[in-house]
Amino acid sequence: MAVRFLGSVLLVVFAGIAGDRLQAHHSFAAQYDRSKPHTITGSVTRIEWLNPHIYLYLAVKDDAGTDRQWAVEGGAPNGLYRQGWRSDTVKVGDVVTVDGWLARDGTNLLNMGSATMGGRKLFSGAAGQ
Amino acid sequence: MRALLGTAIVAAVLGPCAPLHAQWVNVPPAKIPRTSDGKPNLAAPAPRLSDGKPDLSGVWTPNNTYQGEPQNFAADLKVENVPFQPWAKALYDERKTGMHSKEDPSAQCLPQGVPRVNAAPGQWKLVQTPDYIVIIYEAFNILWRQVFLDGRQPAHDAPPTWLGYSTGKWDGDTLVVDTTGFNGKIWLDLMGTPSTDALHVIERFHRTDFGHMDIDIVIDDPKAYTRPWTVNEHARLLPDTELMEAICNENNRDLEHLPGDTVR
Repeated sequence: MAVRFLGSVLLVVFAGIAGDRLQAHHSFAAQYDRSKPHTITGSVTRIEWLNPHIYLYLAVKDDAGTDRQWAVEGGAPNGLYRQGWRSDTVKVGDVVTVDGWLARDGTNLLNMGSATMGGRKLFSGAAGQ
Repeated sequence: MRALLGTAIVAAVLGPCAPLHAQWVNVPPAKIPRTSDGKPNLAAPAPRLSDGKPDLSGVWTPNNTYQGEPQNFAADLKVENVPFQPWAKALYDERKTGMHSKEDPSAQCLPQGVPRVNAAPGQWKLVQTPDYIVIIYEAFNILWRQVFLDGRQPAHDAPPTWLGYSTGKWDGDTLVVDTTGFNGKIWLDLMGTPSTDALHVIERFHRTDFGHMDIDIVIDDPKAYTRPWTVNEHARLLPDTELMEAICNENNRDLEHLPGDTVR
């Protein structure tokens, strides 16, 4: 119980402190629409822990119950590492909820603002910021 | 249980400064003044080398926000004060809409150029000797830059590059770095403020105390601007971390979603 509490507190604190150290190499506004926040929940099918931004791929059920593949762009690996995240913090098969913003080009691409797994907040911060 | 909870709260407050397990990017600073409670004293006087000059060495990160985009060119940049040539203003107005975002060298994982590379993104490590300074930038494939302090003149035959050719000299406690020899491809910031191969940058580095550095910058590019103009950057010391490798082109999936053309 206490250990779990410790873990979640640390993760949230890491996320908050590191929020101003996120790395941007491109314009957020050109790729994503801040006026279109969106939330998805799905099972992780692939993880790319690579520069310049990590990607999570989720199988997300649409209204008809069919799995749709979504790509989620996150922060830079180094920034996440400094927050306390590791490449295996999220694993294939984990069910993750992501709050973020939709891509302007209409593809199933979300820029991650925050992610939770089992009610636990993993980290916050979007790519391109 | 209660003791563990207390430990958890203390650890949470200290955050990355007191991790539960060792992180090589979370290195306790060995040579740093401390306050009576043991914390790094970032307000202590700036250190000096044996030659008496201020020592600018350290891992630094920018403190800039510009038009809602953090870690950008300059905290105090007011576009209305930038003396654009008409063509440069027209290009800037187009770029700031985002329609050319794919053409930003930074989006293509190409170097950001001077002085933008000081401001975005991330941290850089300055290593100072009496004769030269080396700055290593974490972002964009571990870029490095040399600033020669040995009295040499700017090399006018140097091949044009992203970071140019830098020489420096001391003006009291301020290091004045003069850089020319640019390739003309640099976007000065995320908005697309343009530059040409006539760009001449003067950066005045002043370590105001142990943990803070002001960088006053003159942008002198007569092909793009009617007169030189100035901006300021503010950097803060990261006393307890080290640079990490970051190879931008590992997996740059952003380009396919950004508007504009891919140009080289």
